Amino acid sequence: MAPDRYTCEEAFRRLDDYVDRELSAAEQQRVAVHLETCAMCAEEYVFEASLLRMVRERLARIAAPASLRARVAALLADR
Amino acid sequence: MASLDALLDPVLDAAYGLALRLTRDRADAEDLVQDAVLQALKGFGTFDQQLPFKPWFFRVLVNCYRGRHRKSTREVATLPLEDASELYLFERTAGLGWHGGPDDPAVTFMDRMTAEAVGAALDALPESYRVVAVLYFYQDLSYAAIAEQLGIPVGTVRSRLHRARAMLQRRLWQIAEESGLIDRAAAGGES
Repeated sequence: MAPDRYTCEEAFRRLDDYVDRELSAAEQQRVAVHLETCAMCAEEYVFEASLLRMVRERLARIAAPASLRARVAALLADR
Repeated sequence: MASLDALLDPVLDAAYGLALRLTRDRADAEDLVQDAVLQALKGFGTFDQQLPFKPWFFRVLVNCYRGRHRKSTREVATLPLEDASELYLFERTAGLGWHGGPDDPAVTFMDRMTAEAVGAALDALPESYRVVAVLYFYQDLSYAAIAEQLGIPVGTVRSRLHRARAMLQRRLWQIAEESGLIDRAAAGGES
């Protein structure tokens, strides 16, 4: 393995940070290169990224109750 | 120049969602949003209207939560600190034979989960992990920005968030099993 390429283990250790774009540019690139050449790691990455996106999407479906909207409207009207 | 009313209206649902996950109680969440609106009214003059309103208001809300939380010692039962593997749901859904087909197995799994179920899974995390995870899921912030909001080191945010995500996957699976959304027998009966 060339020193500028990650092994599966090295890429896996960085997967969460990679999904969140929290790696350095060089590390981000190395993980990306690994994912281009390793179907198993790429599948894991796609799964994790999809899961996080879906969790966010589900949480965003919760609506403020009418009682809260009324309370906020009253506060703003009283200012 | 936009009024506070106009800026608040489109972010109120998300603000309530954030407050609900932070407080885990509907009445407390309403009170928290009300506190945040009061603080926003006081500080609105300092808000730079060139910047997006939502991050500013969420920051006000999180500060209100932290102020309230320091005064409260109430703690509710949470998941024991048992780690799940980092690919818990990947492995479980693979066990169901959901991988390798045309559909995204993560989407197939999450399509079975309601917003309430996902909220309940998040609520079950231990406090310090839960708060980091809530800020992560509700705000599009870097680890450094979350660390700054909570006054903790970036490394602590990173480690808590990674463990929180693993625990969240485990809890989501448990909820899916308990709710009959997943065939226990096909899944091997493990939870």
